[in-house]
Amino acid sequence: MSRQSNRTTESKKMNSELFTLTYGALVTQLCKDYENDEEVNKQLDKMGYNIGVRLIEDFLARSSVGRCHDFRETADVIAKVAFKMYLGITPSVTNWSPAGDEFSLILENNPLVDFVELPDNHSNLVYSNILCGVLRGALEMVQMAVDVRFAQDTLRGDNVTEIRMKFVKRIEENLPAGDE
Amino acid sequence: MADEALFQFLHNELIQYVYKSSEQGEMENARCITKLENMGFRVGQGLIERFTKDTARFKDELDVMKFICKDFWTSVFKKQIDNLRTNHQGIYVLQDNKFRLLSQLSAGKQYLEHAPKYLAFTCGLVRGGLANLGVKSIVTAEVSVMPACKFQVMIQKV
Amino acid sequence: MMTMLGGEPFLLVSKQEQQNYPLYIRSVPSDSELKFHYTVHTSLDVVEEKVSAVGKVIVDQRELYLGLLYPTEDYKVYGYVTNSKVKFVIVVDSSNTSLRDNEIRSMFRKLHNSFTDVMCNPFYNPGDPIQSKVFDSMVSSMMVQTC
Repeated sequence: MSRQSNRTTESKKMNSELFTLTYGALVTQLCKDYENDEEVNKQLDKMGYNIGVRLIEDFLARSSVGRCHDFRETADVIAKVAFKMYLGITPSVTNWSPAGDEFSLILENNPLVDFVELPDNHSNLVYSNILCGVLRGALEMVQMAVDVRFAQDTLRGDNVTEIRMKFVKRIEENLPAGDE
Repeated sequence: MADEALFQFLHNELIQYVYKSSEQGEMENARCITKLENMGFRVGQGLIERFTKDTARFKDELDVMKFICKDFWTSVFKKQIDNLRTNHQGIYVLQDNKFRLLSQLSAGKQYLEHAPKYLAFTCGLVRGGLANLGVKSIVTAEVSVMPACKFQVMIQKV
Repeated sequence: MMTMLGGEPFLLVSKQEQQNYPLYIRSVPSDSELKFHYTVHTSLDVVEEKVSAVGKVIVDQRELYLGLLYPTEDYKVYGYVTNSKVKFVIVVDSSNTSLRDNEIRSMFRKLHNSFTDVMCNPFYNPGDPIQSKVFDSMVSSMMVQTC
């Protein structure tokens, strides 16, 4: 077994771990600050929203995606471009509703939950709920109101992590978005 | 592999969260700084545990500090510490001429008062990393000219 | 942490401000509990000694694996210390001659890797006893392999 570490790969991995660990520190801080899991879930969603409304600019600047013509295109961009760019994973898009206004993102692995073991007293915690807020905030900036929630979560015993996204309505251009 | 931008967004939101739920005043400010620092501390412990899993044993304190300045800083901030000074009596000053987490702040004087908020987490990161290597310390930071900053590490003899 | 290998325990402790206390212990009940506890505490002192030996070349100071710490009549004691000052000790029955050095090294690596994962669980508070299901099952599978 080599005792020398490969510095470049270690470097890259560590950077991703910085995000994962920082997110973990945030979640545990919220658990200390709030009485119950429901409140923590809400906070995570709010914070995700605040990140999302800013992240979208970064995303549009760095990817070369144009305007999406429909919700299906949006789903593909989210899964294949956005998730890849920010989290290095490519969830699959499945379970479309007949009306084409709802779909699922299936994450085989979720970098946010690396090393995380949920203690028994946090059974209602949606650990990665920040993702819902981020998606919601980002899409609001491109005039789409969506509902995002976790349908399955590996941390709570499911085989995969499933995020369910539902298109609600188109937003008028001149509605200002503030922080929540 | 999480993107660097994502961490920056998260870090900023962390600061907003901690300060949003507090009131004005020096006491409150100190409390917020401590909260951020403590979060950084826990993260630093974890990062160092992972990162030194495959490295050889450190020779001495200076060996540890050099590791922080080179390997640790590069992994976390994509660059090394630009200058390390020590009085060889337990005080180290780490200078980063272009601190990544300050890049979001404008260089104007009115933003200087907010700079400490953006340094607190990193101070904790360093303190946590050192603590997990058996080095007890106090870490503070100051900004003189944006975006350069200095981290001061004071080793505490146990 | 203690696990029984061929009927023997191994221990994981963390050095906290000069005190050594176990973060994790697993053992199969045996008749020689007292002797075993004594061996464990002695082994921690020996690990301490090996790591802080100044000027003496007892062991390659750069290596994390400390090798066989000392043989006793009944046990063979192996040690390993991480850069984060966490000590692992494996105690094996003297009569067990089939366990080779590289197998012991590999066990320590597994323990170290799993411990690192525990450290990165945000719900784990460093210094607390380890209560990880993942860690437990890793230890169990290691025990099954070597017994």
